[in-house]
Amino acid sequence: MIEMYGVSKAYNKGPVALKDINLKIEKGEFVFIVGPSGAGKSTMIKLLFREELPTKGQIFFCGKNITRMKPREIPYIRRRIGMVFQDFRLIPQKTVYENIAFALQVVEAPQREINRKVPQVLEMVGLPHKAKAMPGELSGGEQQRVALARAIVNNPDALVADEPTGNLDPDTSWEIMKLLSDINKRGTTIIVATHARELVDSMKKRVIQLDKGYIVRDEARGAYRK
Amino acid sequence: MRIRTFGNFFKEAFVSLFRNRWMSLASIGAVAASLIVLGSFLLLSVNFDHILVDVESQVEITAYLEDTADDLDIARLKGELSGIYGVKEVNFVSKEDAMEEFKEQVGKELLEGLENPLPNSFRIKADNPQDVPEIAQKIEKVEKIDQVKYGKGIVEKLFNMIHWARIIGLVIMVVFAAISIFIIANTIRLTVFARRREINIMKYVGATDWFVRWPFLIEGMILGLIGSAISIGILGAGYNYIYDVVKLNVPMISLLPLSNFYDYGLAFLAVGMLIGALGSSFSIKRFLRV
Repeated sequence: MIEMYGVSKAYNKGPVALKDINLKIEKGEFVFIVGPSGAGKSTMIKLLFREELPTKGQIFFCGKNITRMKPREIPYIRRRIGMVFQDFRLIPQKTVYENIAFALQVVEAPQREINRKVPQVLEMVGLPHKAKAMPGELSGGEQQRVALARAIVNNPDALVADEPTGNLDPDTSWEIMKLLSDINKRGTTIIVATHARELVDSMKKRVIQLDKGYIVRDEARGAYRK
Repeated sequence: MRIRTFGNFFKEAFVSLFRNRWMSLASIGAVAASLIVLGSFLLLSVNFDHILVDVESQVEITAYLEDTADDLDIARLKGELSGIYGVKEVNFVSKEDAMEEFKEQVGKELLEGLENPLPNSFRIKADNPQDVPEIAQKIEKVEKIDQVKYGKGIVEKLFNMIHWARIIGLVIMVVFAAISIFIIANTIRLTVFARRREINIMKYVGATDWFVRWPFLIEGMILGLIGSAISIGILGAGYNYIYDVVKLNVPMISLLPLSNFYDYGLAFLAVGMLIGALGSSFSIKRFLRV
């Protein structure tokens, strides 16, 4: 589903962020990307999401070369990838319900579908009673669950999370991981960039470790560090 | 794009106008203020033009005939003068007509019993008042024409002045228009900046650029529209007041009535909307690059 061939990324003037990455992620996989700060995790996520273009190499998503995509095609590929961030990125002036509905309005889904799907995903993340709450009234864990709901409401093929538990306490982090795991069970490919060692160790999923821009380890059912 | 989506855009635009009401008020204020300045200059310059055209049309040449010219000569001369390039109109004024006019001007009693000293003359108007000096030169050379008068010197100076006044007016107007667009683009940039997170999120969930752009364009156009409507109201009321005052106190100057400017009002609404749309699209451009 996701393939990278000889991908390198260097930022203007900055150091090389990724070097000669070859990678294949199959449909329905759950993958952790780990490594110290500056190892290239965020860059890899940005490349997957076509926020950045690689300096060298090709990236395929569902058989489509996203490095050769026209700018106006980008929105349509993004609709097939749900994004979750460390800082949740909810719109503070919109209610929980509106925040999730927003993701569907943006892709011009019919109102009937919005009415049906939003309560469905709210149920899934366990927040049906918070539909009318504003993001500011929620705890960090609850906000991240809303963000997850927004990421999956479009039935994306993949969900990419950049440090999704970075701002959360351990118990809440566990809940989020459990949710991600549930979403994965429905067939959605999950890619999580994280620092959270204990979580990675206990999940027993594929682990790709980056260091200084290189893949130094790629292991099915791995731990944060050997 | 679906119609319902557009409905949502309008809703979004209005909701955001209201949510950022202080910012919106600032934008409307900036649009109104710049358009009031622009409009004042416009009103001034159109009126100035109108007064100039008035003056221009009054510039005419008087050609006095020699006393020896008879009726036949007069008819022939009229034809000849009409044939000069750039001449619009030739009117014959007889000795008697001229005397009547003179009497009207100075009073009948004073001239009672006096023999008519005035010669026959032609009054000539030019197509383009700027050609008056040249036409006058040509008329001087015509046979049986005694003397040609046209306010020599004054006409040249006047046209020189008009020429420069127009150029300076135009420059000032262009500068003010540019300043208006700059202020508006900046104010709307604030609105866009305040909503940059929202734009960022829209791009992440797969919104097309136009989908992101439309609500801001509509918001900008609404701001521009309200701003220009306010400027039209204030300019209209102000102009009417000045019109009345001038009419009462300075009868020599005839300002154009407000009804002459209705078209400008419509144009102002369009300009306001355009400025708003331009301002938002300048401001949003940077935030679309995600």
